[in-house]
Amino acid sequence: MLDLRSITAHVRDGLVPAHIYSDPEVFALERDRLFARSWTFLAHETEIPAPGDFVVRRVLADSFIVSRDDTGVVHVLFNMCRHKGMQVCRAEAGNASLFRCPYHAWTYAADGRLVGLPFHADAYGGEAGLVRQDHGLLPAPALATYNGLIFASLDPEAPPLEDYLGDFAFYLDLYTRQSEAGIQLTGPQRWRVRSNWKIGAENFAGDSYHTPHTHTSVVEIGLFGEPQPHKRKEGVLYAAGPGSGTTYKLPPGDFASGLGYVGYPSDMVTRMERTWTRRQRDLVGQSGFMVSAATLFPNLSFVHNWPQVDDSGRVAPFISLRLWQPVSATETEILSWFAVDQGAPADFRAASYKAYLMCFGSSGMFEQDDVENWVSITSTAEGTMARRLLLNSRMGLDHDGRPLAEPYGDFAGPGVAYQGFGEFNQRRWLAMWCDALEQAP
Amino acid sequence: MNGPAAPLPYTHEAHQLAHQFLVEEAHLLDTQQLEEWLGLLCPDVRYVMPVAVTRSRRAGADQGPRPGRDGRYGSGDDGGNGMAHLDEDLFSLRRRVERLATEHAWTEDPPSRLRHFVTNVRTFAGPGPDELSVQSNVLLFRSRGDTRPPDLLSAGRHDVLRRGPDGGWRLARREVHVDEAVLRTQNLAILL
Repeated sequence: MLDLRSITAHVRDGLVPAHIYSDPEVFALERDRLFARSWTFLAHETEIPAPGDFVVRRVLADSFIVSRDDTGVVHVLFNMCRHKGMQVCRAEAGNASLFRCPYHAWTYAADGRLVGLPFHADAYGGEAGLVRQDHGLLPAPALATYNGLIFASLDPEAPPLEDYLGDFAFYLDLYTRQSEAGIQLTGPQRWRVRSNWKIGAENFAGDSYHTPHTHTSVVEIGLFGEPQPHKRKEGVLYAAGPGSGTTYKLPPGDFASGLGYVGYPSDMVTRMERTWTRRQRDLVGQSGFMVSAATLFPNLSFVHNWPQVDDSGRVAPFISLRLWQPVSATETEILSWFAVDQGAPADFRAASYKAYLMCFGSSGMFEQDDVENWVSITSTAEGTMARRLLLNSRMGLDHDGRPLAEPYGDFAGPGVAYQGFGEFNQRRWLAMWCDALEQAP
Repeated sequence: MNGPAAPLPYTHEAHQLAHQFLVEEAHLLDTQQLEEWLGLLCPDVRYVMPVAVTRSRRAGADQGPRPGRDGRYGSGDDGGNGMAHLDEDLFSLRRRVERLATEHAWTEDPPSRLRHFVTNVRTFAGPGPDELSVQSNVLLFRSRGDTRPPDLLSAGRHDVLRRGPDGGWRLARREVHVDEAVLRTQNLAILL
C-alpha cells in the first residue's frame, strides 16, 4: 500500500524515494490526480494549417482528434464514437471533411457534430429517439492556445491557460514567438523508451549539472562547445510560474551580438527585437543569457542549442519541443518536434533542421546518452532496495535547507534565478508533482 | 524513388555485386567497424530515414512517407509530417562515427549486439551510367545489456550505388523506410 504522505514529505525535503520512477501505484495516482487535471500540450496550430486538417494525439490513454473546421476553428475531440466506442479516426494525421465510424457509420464533422447516422428514422424514430445534436464527439473539457500551442485539460474547472502559464509565458515567448508570425512545428519524431516520464521532464527543467559529463562526447568531437563545466556553471537556472529552465552565459556584447553568436541571421534578430518586450530583450542584451533547456509542468519540454553544422564551422541554433507522453510507470513515448520561426530564411531553416537532427530527437547525439541513463534509472528503481533508497536531490541547499547562494540579482526575466549548479528547479517541479498527487481525487 | 519496372536477373553480375555490397556493408555495421563503413560512402552521400506516419489509404498511405514539395524533409513545405529520424550528409555521419569512437558515448558502451538481416534484394540499372538502384529489406536485432528485452527494427531500403574511381561500388544515397510510426528502440545510435 502506497504511503503517499511519506513520499511527498521526503520529496519536498529533496530526498526522492527511488521507486517513484517505476511504481505502478504512483503512476495510477499521476493518471488520476495529475493528468486528469493538468493542462497538457497536444499539438501546434501549424500542424493543422488548412480547414479539415487533423492530427491525433493522446493524453495518456485518451485519444483526441485535434482538428480544424471549415471556419478555421480548432477543436479537440475525444476519439471515441458515441454509439459503441470505436475510434472514429485511426490515422495519425490527414485532411478529412468527415470522420465516419467504421462500425455503424455514425458520422461526425470536424467540429464534432454528429451529422449522420444510418436509418435515423427507422432505427431511432428520428429525433424522438436520438437527438443528434446531443451526440457529437465529446470535446476536451478545456481547450486553449498560446502562441499557437494547443493545450487541453481533462478538468472542466481548469484555470484559464494564461493564468496557469503565469510568468513562464515570458520564457515561452523566447522559444515560440521570435516574430509576429510565430513558430512552425515539423514532426514529431516518435519513439518509445523504457524510462519513467518524470526523469526527462525534471532533467530539462534544470539539470545543468549533467551536461558536462553526460554530453562530454559531443564537446570532444567539436559539435557543441558550450557544455563544458565552466560554461554551464556560469549559466543561470530560472523558475517562473509552472516552468523553469537553464541558460548559458553569452560572451560580452549586446542583443544583436548575443543572438549572432548563437547563429541567428540579422533579419531574424531584427524581428526578435521588434516582437519581444524590453524585458525579454534585456535578458539577452543586458543580463547576457541565452535560454537552453526548459520544462513546462508537467510534461512539455523545450531545448535551444547552437551546434556546428558543417566543415566551415558554421553554428546554427535550433529549437525543439518535446512531450514526455507517459505509457506506463516504466515506459514513455517521446514526441519531439523541430520548431523554427515561420519567417526564417530557407538557408537558416535547413541549417537549423540539420542542427536539430544531429543533437536531439530519436537520433540526436545529446539525446542518445540521456535516454541510456534514464532507462537504467527506471529499471534499477523497480527493486526492493530502491524502495529503501532516498535519492539526494538537495544540490544548492545547506543541511538546514537554506540556499547556499543568494538568488542571482542581475537577471532580467521574471521568477527566481540562481547562478551555477543546483537542483532548485527539479525540486520545484517535484513540489508541483506533490501538490497534484496530494489533491483528493 | 522507384526503379524501372523489372529488376535485373538474379544471375546478372551487377545484381550479384550489389547484393555482395549490402552483405559486406551489413557485416561492417554488425561488427561496428564504422570508420571502414564511412569508406563505403560517396563524398556527396545522402542518408535519410523519414518518419512513418499512419495515414488513410485515400490519403496515400501506400506511398510511404513524403518529402516536402522541394524534395527535402524538414522544410516545413510538405503538407504533412515531412520529418525524418535521420537526414544525413558525410559531415554529420562522420560526426556520429567520431562520437561513438570517443570513450564517452555512454549509449553504446557497453555496445549493443547488432545483427542486420538483409533480404529481398532487387537491383535495377541506373539512374546514372555508373549507378545501380538497389532495394532491400532489413531487419535489425539489437540487444543491450543482459536484462532488457531486445529491440527489432524492420525497414525497406532504397539505395543508389555508384562506381567509385577505383572501380568499387560506393553508397551515394539511402532511403530507409522504417515500418513503425513509433520506434521501439531507445535511440538511433545505430544505423540501418
